[in-house]
Amino acid sequence: MDKKFPISLHFALTLAGLLVALYMIFLYAPEEMTMGEVQRIFYVHVSCAWPALLGFIIIFFSSIVYLWKRAQFADELAHATAEVGFIFCTCVLVTGPLWAKPAWGVWWAWDARLTLTFLLWLLYVAYLMLRSYMVNPGRAANLCAVVGIIGFVDVLIDYMAIRWWRTQHPQPVILGGPESGLDPRMLATLLVTVAVFTLLFFLLVRMRLRLAAMRRELSEIRHVLAFKMSED
Amino acid sequence: MVNKFLFLAYAFVWLIFILYAWNLSRRQAGLKKELDELKTRVSDSSSAPASRNAGA
Repeated sequence: MDKKFPISLHFALTLAGLLVALYMIFLYAPEEMTMGEVQRIFYVHVSCAWPALLGFIIIFFSSIVYLWKRAQFADELAHATAEVGFIFCTCVLVTGPLWAKPAWGVWWAWDARLTLTFLLWLLYVAYLMLRSYMVNPGRAANLCAVVGIIGFVDVLIDYMAIRWWRTQHPQPVILGGPESGLDPRMLATLLVTVAVFTLLFFLLVRMRLRLAAMRRELSEIRHVLAFKMSED
Repeated sequence: MVNKFLFLAYAFVWLIFILYAWNLSRRQAGLKKELDELKTRVSDSSSAPASRNAGA
């Protein structure tokens, strides 16, 4: 992966993509008629929500692979994804109320979508706290894998919430049925921004995985050193 | 003038990503330093017996 798609190239592509996305959000996309320019929060809000959900999907599959095959890499991938997913989920929970206040007149409503997204954020927090506070890394990995598998149910219901129930949160604008839809320039802007944020998500996961690989190497060297010292 | 909610939303997102990337690179630099030190210790400890043997 590193040779085929070096992290430096990944970084450069993400940076260029972010600049293009910013241009499209503020200059290319038309202003929405009822909400005005505050509607532009939509692009960053949705673009953070997708990786937040994707993160837990990756955790779910990695956790299954870890419990099944005991693959160290699967556990490291789940942990790295949880950390990055938490950042994206936090952005969703901050940008959402900042859009809700001028649009709905309230910062927050306990409707299905918002509550389930908050629950997703709590699941990320629980996952990371288990990693940090459990002394035995093997037990922490097992327990986190279980949280990752059970928590996936929330992702499914969260995704379907605005399709199943009428909520305060707007109905889906893409893949949402015959009545959904966006201005073509708004749609193009949204798709570019989502793609760029997905690139950013994977860039951060790769950086976090590199950290995990270095930690693994460090612990191996410590073992070698301890073995040599005991031999002497 | 830019809407304050719009400004706050984008400022927060940029700030959190910049801080997280900075935090990752700082942790990476710390680990790299530790790794280099340990590697030097390992190479020193493996060359020491060889030099002792050569002396004998």
